[in-house]
Amino acid sequence: MLPDATVLNRILSDAGVTARVEETTLGIVAHVPCEMAVEALSALRGSDLDFHMLLDMLGADTGEGIEITYHLRSLSRDEDVFVKTEVAYDAALRSVWNLFPSALAPERETAELLGIKLDGHPNPKRLLTTDGVAALLRKSVAVRSAEEVRAR
Amino acid sequence: MTDARDIVTSVGELASEGTHDPGMPPAGIRRIPSGVDGLSTEHLIINMGPQHPSTHGVLRVIVEVDGEEVVAAESTLGYLHRGIEKLAETRRFDQLGTLMDRGDYVSGIHGEQAAALAVEKLMEIEVPSKARWIRSLMAELTRIASHLVWYGTFGLDTGAMGQFLYAMRDREAILDILEAVSGQRMMFNYVRPGGVVADLPVGIEAKIIAFCDGFDGYLEEHHALLGGNEIFQHRVKGVGVIDREMALAFGLSGANLRAAGVGFDVRRERPYDAYSELEFDVPIGTRGDAWDRYMVRMEEMRQSVRMVRQAIAGMPEGEHTAKVPKVIRVPAGEVYASVESSRGETAVHMVTDGGTSPVRYHYRGPSLFAVQLLEEILPGHLLADVVMMIGSLDIMLGEADR
Repeated sequence: MLPDATVLNRILSDAGVTARVEETTLGIVAHVPCEMAVEALSALRGSDLDFHMLLDMLGADTGEGIEITYHLRSLSRDEDVFVKTEVAYDAALRSVWNLFPSALAPERETAELLGIKLDGHPNPKRLLTTDGVAALLRKSVAVRSAEEVRAR
Repeated sequence: MTDARDIVTSVGELASEGTHDPGMPPAGIRRIPSGVDGLSTEHLIINMGPQHPSTHGVLRVIVEVDGEEVVAAESTLGYLHRGIEKLAETRRFDQLGTLMDRGDYVSGIHGEQAAALAVEKLMEIEVPSKARWIRSLMAELTRIASHLVWYGTFGLDTGAMGQFLYAMRDREAILDILEAVSGQRMMFNYVRPGGVVADLPVGIEAKIIAFCDGFDGYLEEHHALLGGNEIFQHRVKGVGVIDREMALAFGLSGANLRAAGVGFDVRRERPYDAYSELEFDVPIGTRGDAWDRYMVRMEEMRQSVRMVRQAIAGMPEGEHTAKVPKVIRVPAGEVYASVESSRGETAVHMVTDGGTSPVRYHYRGPSLFAVQLLEEILPGHLLADVVMMIGSLDIMLGEADR
């Protein structure tokens, strides 16, 4: 279930990606710089570890920026790896749809709900909310609006 | 002069043959300008949904058709977006199950399991074996109830009627059992961190076995009624082929993935609750067409009945929940917990900081990935097959929109 961290490190450094691989409560996590995320995913997909499936992708507001997590799975080896990268609040996320088409919808969702731009996506529209709705998953956006709080 | 047959062929070339072309966006969003064929006929844009009886919830699909053939399709989501992930950041850990019930509202227990497993993993709670067995029992009953909704409505999508009524009859029997156990028919809030909220009521075992005895025969009838119908077979055999590569590329899971020939089932590959102690087979398809998806789900119901019988026979003695504090504080960390729901791999990816609520709560719904596949798979199909394709993927919009 857990891939070998040293093998991961070797694959990523061979691809010229400076990565920090660690084991956490989540599993094996590879932290990569934002501008190298696509190269890292590409290297993992093409490697012997055979991470052919992007199972999920999500973003989280950490207070310093948006942390993007890609969840890759290798069915042939039954192993999962999480690739994490930090995107600044005002920066753009590079789309990985041509490596993993399953990222198409989650990327749109992440961009709209966390208020970041999306680069290189074939259909970068909003997915769940309409124009004018705030980036709901930002910590600065309250769960209840001021009107709702007054009404209670 | 363009022959009518040439036009059919040129449309056919646009058809998705079930293989994904790497490096090309889904065919549905490669918008084709109107009037591209020899006769310069105009393409028609048809809006289906969100209030359409065959979109299984509130899905809107915009299809561009050339005559009867779909040349492009775009699915529009968000009509059921309730901000479950944001709301979870203000809920206590024992309240997360209520939100999961309202995500995939046809198989609520599975969502609750994912939320409870996530908390238990981080807190390292040992769940008593009785609680684990009750969870698996409830999960398999829910799976049958959910597959019956799919079976009934999939028949409706292909133009049949009778099977829906029989499916609802059997589903009612299961909902009565689930209500007797949890107090609720759909929004259970029964699985909690540490176990389940209450022990099985006295005498429920006999009711469940009585249901299983009847359902064994009914399942044969269901299959004969719909699967044995030649019209239905013509509608689904060889239609909507999703091959292995495409299924993996688009992140499919559950019966849709297994119909494409990939034998991945979370219950077997990453056993949780009582699944390591239960015996069951994982059916897989060979062609990945709508018929294979139908057959895989029908067989899954049979396997679920098998597991329900084992769970009743082998139900251990003991407590139904571990000792869990009233106010749960989960240690800081990050966790991914997945279960095999009726629709595929339902999972919770949660970040915690040691407080009483999660900092980031992400709900992975398999339907989101099935919905986005529509844009790739629909072009090349007949307009009448659009509803059949949506039905065959067993999409739940409450879970895609969250």
